[in-house]
Amino acid sequence: MDSVVSFAGWMPAGLQNAAETGTSVRAVIFEDDIAIWRGQDGLARAWQNRCPHRGMRLSYGIVRENRLTCLYHGWTYDGTGGCAHIPAHPDLVPPKSIRAKAYGCVETGGMIWVARSESSEPPPQISGTWMPCRTMQVNRSLTGLAEVLGTGKANLALAMGAWAGQLRVAGLQGAVLLAVQPMGARGAMLHACVTGPEDLTRASDWIESLRGHLERPIAA
Amino acid sequence: MKLYDYVLSGNCYKIRLFMAFLDLDYEKVGVDFYPGREHKSDSFLAINPLGQLPVLEDNGVVIRDAQAILVYLANRHDPSGQWWPQADHAQFAQVVQWLAFADSITGTSSAARLHDMLGYDLDIVAARAGAHRLFRILDSHLSQQEFEGHHWIAGPSPTIADIACFPYTALAGDGGIDTFYYPAIQRWIHRLTRLPRYHNMPGINVFA
Repeated sequence: MDSVVSFAGWMPAGLQNAAETGTSVRAVIFEDDIAIWRGQDGLARAWQNRCPHRGMRLSYGIVRENRLTCLYHGWTYDGTGGCAHIPAHPDLVPPKSIRAKAYGCVETGGMIWVARSESSEPPPQISGTWMPCRTMQVNRSLTGLAEVLGTGKANLALAMGAWAGQLRVAGLQGAVLLAVQPMGARGAMLHACVTGPEDLTRASDWIESLRGHLERPIAA
Repeated sequence: MKLYDYVLSGNCYKIRLFMAFLDLDYEKVGVDFYPGREHKSDSFLAINPLGQLPVLEDNGVVIRDAQAILVYLANRHDPSGQWWPQADHAQFAQVVQWLAFADSITGTSSAARLHDMLGYDLDIVAARAGAHRLFRILDSHLSQQEFEGHHWIAGPSPTIADIACFPYTALAGDGGIDTFYYPAIQRWIHRLTRLPRYHNMPGINVFA
């Protein structure tokens, strides 16, 4: 589907409430499989979704305090990705070379953003206070999204260029912050935030109808 | 009470989970669903002519269908009325509606799991697509509930509708159905596993 299989800068990876304190969840960006988890310190971390030991998804991991423990053999990583404990060798101090591969991870605009560690692009800063509304998976590749959006639905095509943008939607008090997270063959995630609770239900209805529009067959 | 049970059945797990929430004692009778196909044996068909698990026996009453057993247990053993609220007609109807929805989840997500885990011959593409269609509806509903400050399917506290929908939603990954597409469902699963007296089954990932 999408020819792009990797990404260079900061990408939306979910709404802030997707990763609640003490949980680890899965996110896919293009071909990258990522575990996002939040410790008791409230900080969200994004790591390659693969335990360095046996490749188990770290999104199945167990969060205790500010450490993530792999579900498979209990290898435990501190908040920076360094291996802190290996249960089968309780007296061993794990070598510093055993590390979960970390992505850059920031939160702004009510959303979690990630970038590859080698990226030098500064993290996004979205002004204003934004409240998480809905995340929706849409069965449409990025190319297909651009094609549909290009046919003139609001100013979405413009917003898409930077993965997120503000929109005015009829019937809402405030604006909607809409972000697109491409997932290759899985289509994309659409994330929407609003400026206040009074807009939650209407914005949710709007993004449902937007998805319906995006998933309609493209005429040949 | 006697429960005809198979440990890897999500429908049997609904009953075990509810028994745990209600703190009830009961006897489990293991049925060799796989590979023995004991649920299709003459002796079991005499108990349930549909050849399906679970079945509950209580003082001579024999009940088949997981949702019917949940209703029975709630009416008989939940004096608080929390799990099967009947005072509010709209909420009552909501619970019934989502009990029926749970059966649709069984028909799709559980079917996909039987295909992937036990090699059942069925239309796996249709099963997965059907499950995704239902999970979109559930995720949307749970989001709306959250907007109202509610964390459960049918109102401010958990009901048998939550229990009925839970197993084959939480086990969907076994059938190749990705539920990370549905963040409100993820939050709901997490909340349910945190309830007092929660009882797990193999295959459901509980955040400790």
